[in-house]
Amino acid sequence: MNEPTFLILTALAGESRHGYAVTEDVEQMTGGRVRLRAGTLYAALDRLRGEGLIEVDREEIVQSRLRRYYRLTAAGEQSLAAETARLREQATIAEGRLRARRADFGGATA
Amino acid sequence: MTEIRYRRLLALYPRDFRQEYGDEMLGVLMADPRPGPAQVLDVARGAVAAHLRGLWIGEGRAARLVQIFGAMLLFAVASRRFVGGLLATVNHFDQVGWQNLPVTSSVRFVAWGVALVAALLGWRLLGAAGAAAGLAGEVLTPAGSYVETPATVLYAYWLIVSAVLVLIAGLVADRGPVRPRGWQWVAAAGVVLVLQGRLEQSGSSGPYELRWMLVLVAVALAAVAIFRQEPRLRARLLCWIAPVIATVPLVEFGFAEFIVYNMGHPESTRMISPLQWAVLVVVPVVAFVGASVLDRRGRVTAAPGR
Repeated sequence: MNEPTFLILTALAGESRHGYAVTEDVEQMTGGRVRLRAGTLYAALDRLRGEGLIEVDREEIVQSRLRRYYRLTAAGEQSLAAETARLREQATIAEGRLRARRADFGGATA
Repeated sequence: MTEIRYRRLLALYPRDFRQEYGDEMLGVLMADPRPGPAQVLDVARGAVAAHLRGLWIGEGRAARLVQIFGAMLLFAVASRRFVGGLLATVNHFDQVGWQNLPVTSSVRFVAWGVALVAALLGWRLLGAAGAAAGLAGEVLTPAGSYVETPATVLYAYWLIVSAVLVLIAGLVADRGPVRPRGWQWVAAAGVVLVLQGRLEQSGSSGPYELRWMLVLVAVALAAVAIFRQEPRLRARLLCWIAPVIATVPLVEFGFAEFIVYNMGHPESTRMISPLQWAVLVVVPVVAFVGASVLDRRGRVTAAPGR
């Protein structure tokens, strides 16, 4: 799972959101490091819908323009949980190795 | 950027994608505080991805049928030469030894047999190995006589293209065992091809017209198998076989002069030029892409909404 996909699923895990709200939440989550653009966002949303990981929650018309809210499906929740566990496992390994490295250098940072 | 410019940019997307997300995307684009070349590039990249994704939808299932049906027919064609050679070897071993049973012929027969079994069982790796070996056999057989008779490559061209398609289809096909609808028709087409091959190898025992009629019967039987599929799958199958169909007019009309010249001038045989090789590679690709684009257009016209 690539980073934008992970972040979009994470944004939708909290509550159902429309496209622009997803980009804002992702920006907030990453401290401004990632701001999804429209092309990337909707390519990902279309693919995730096709894979059954997200679905349309509801639609509304705001300023005569369609606003569609997306939510995570059960399969999406499962996929996000699996990816989170994988990332946690890798982060734990990295943390352990960094700790060992610091110990090898007598507590000094290299 | 103005709304009109954004709408023009969104026109890069496939129509069905635009109908589904165009309004929403427009809202996000206009709210984006960073308009500029990077934004345009991102939309253009998304449009290309949407086009490619549209071409790819449902491909795994169609590819699976191409893999199975293709392997069945290529196995039948390989059987023709192998069985003929085997019978000649058994009947005249004292005079001719093993010369009627070349290694490439045996490898091709076994390879397509393996590819067929793997295709039916849905074993991707074994299927790819079998198809790759079969493709090597299809290439090596005409390659052996290319210098003396360059046209042999052209006669085997449709087989080589078919083998490449079966290999690619096997790599992208859905997994798991399956018995596709209409397989009996393809099996019957294979039997007819084997019989036709026996008739051809027995020389004067069959009239020329009968041999060609049998080929047409085999084609008709295979066509029945395709037309027995559901419409969506049928359309995709036609896209997959478009490259093979394209080989017939290409050789018939594009290389007719080349073949006739070489037949009349055995002392100064012409080889296939680099440009002609390029055409032989490009035409099947163009046929597939062209058929897929037409199929997609037809799909969008038939179902404007999702």
